[in-house]
Amino acid sequence: MDKFVVIGERIHCISPTIRKAMEERDPEPILKRAKEQIDAGATYLDVNIGPAESDGEELMKWAVQLIQGEFDNIPLSLDTANRKAIEAGISVYNRSKGKPIVNSADAGDRIENVDLAAANDAIIIALCSKSGVPADNDERMMYCQELLERGMGLGMEPDDMLFDPLFLVIKGMQDKQPDILEFIKMLTDMGFKSTGGLSNCSNGMPKEVRPIMDSAMIAMAMQQGLTSAIVNPCDKRMMETIKSCDVIRGANLYADSYLQL
Amino acid sequence: MAYKKSPQAFKASINAVTIGTGDSAVTLGGENVMPLYTFDAPIEHRPAVGIAVSDTGIRTDLPKLDEFYEGATTLLDRAQKAAQLKEADFLSIVLDAADPNGDNRSVEDCVAEVKAIADAVDKPLVIEGCKNVEKDTELFSKVAEALQGKNVLLLSAREENYKTVGASTVMAYQQKMGAESADDINLAKQLNVLITQLGVDPGSVVMNVGTAAAGYGFEYVVSTMDRVKSAALEQNDGMLQMPIVTPVASEAWTVKESLVSGDDIPEWGDVEERGIQMEVTTAAACLASGSNAVILMHPESVKTISAFVADLM
Repeated sequence: MDKFVVIGERIHCISPTIRKAMEERDPEPILKRAKEQIDAGATYLDVNIGPAESDGEELMKWAVQLIQGEFDNIPLSLDTANRKAIEAGISVYNRSKGKPIVNSADAGDRIENVDLAAANDAIIIALCSKSGVPADNDERMMYCQELLERGMGLGMEPDDMLFDPLFLVIKGMQDKQPDILEFIKMLTDMGFKSTGGLSNCSNGMPKEVRPIMDSAMIAMAMQQGLTSAIVNPCDKRMMETIKSCDVIRGANLYADSYLQL
Repeated sequence: MAYKKSPQAFKASINAVTIGTGDSAVTLGGENVMPLYTFDAPIEHRPAVGIAVSDTGIRTDLPKLDEFYEGATTLLDRAQKAAQLKEADFLSIVLDAADPNGDNRSVEDCVAEVKAIADAVDKPLVIEGCKNVEKDTELFSKVAEALQGKNVLLLSAREENYKTVGASTVMAYQQKMGAESADDINLAKQLNVLITQLGVDPGSVVMNVGTAAAGYGFEYVVSTMDRVKSAALEQNDGMLQMPIVTPVASEAWTVKESLVSGDDIPEWGDVEERGIQMEVTTAAACLASGSNAVILMHPESVKTISAFVADLM
């Protein structure tokens, strides 16, 4: 059994510091966040450059080379609505530590990102949604099949598709939570890998509550077979939960220092 | 439907750890397949066989052993004879006499003797302690210093002394060290974590995860080694990718099958034959379970296991 894969979410242009650093091509704040996440146990780092309509290609190339150059070719997830920027990023990407992840495709407007991943031997995050939130798991499964067929039709291995059940905010959509967990189990039973922006579940909750809720959600999702998540690895409680769950499900052999590894 | 062979070679591999220097150096580990599974991928470094000589002398009730060491009166003599055995990949000096509860030989005397052996023989050296943690700590530190440049393996550090042993052997003198646990997978991993956290290069560490003579709870040995190798290869667990070195002699020759004279139980037959069988059986089982090297006492066992390995590779 493989260990849970943590995709670090903290290089995101929604952060003013990162946005400024990206605009000014200032390496320091980006490398600092990359290092914090790697030290905390991230396997992949997500690089979100936003829509980046004007200079996306050049920016993504710069970010990929900067981060991989500094951190021994750590694998990255390339996150932007600008397809050309993702392609540009992949063109300079070093695969020695893992394929690039394209973040992301859905069954709607963004389905062509599956093609992009297939053409570039990349991994795709496939959101099981079209426009808005799926009504139920039948709908989720329909989108999942559409994405799968598209990928396989283009020669992708199902292992290179990370299906995203779409984590929903608990405040306001509490009744949807069991569905999401059930859908993860459905993906697992079909042998598929999965991921998602898990901390969305605690959106709007008090700061001190969020790590607790996120940790509970990740433990429950891992029990259903979730194989990775896009999260903040600097959330100590969550990382401790993930590491503990990996021990309990046998993905990592226990040693007294397991939390430090 | 035709049989389709699907080799199970892993992306992860066991660390390759070299002991000794020059042409006689031997490399342990390095494989990316389950033990002896050459049909999945080539195993570059075949499992190694070491011959052990103890400073407490040899048993006098084993004629073949006596014959092999005929004329050898000192540890140095015996070490030289053992080193000439071409089937032995390395030589293990067992400093049993250093035990404070036994002969309590001084560290200085032990070191001087080991140094003389290192100067006289060409084979890679393993130094086994007397199992007294405090004495072994001191012995390993001083031996590591005296044998600088010889790239020897000190066997082994335990939970109680890994800090001093790690610092004074690998870090100070670039020797290799063993990490010893007794059929406890969690401790085996934990010790490697702690040793690595000291700053010791994982590539300088081997594991002795414990053994038992065949028939004496060996199933625990199998399950321990099996779990270690599957974590190392299937789960790419860097804290369990150290090669395994198993001192078989001390277990195989201390059970009643290897001790009781044929005069006492005639139906059991000759004690030397029995002991050799015990040692060979245990060693073969260890290799099949995951040992990258075994250390044996009897030259006949060394020859048999060496031939066994050669036939399988």
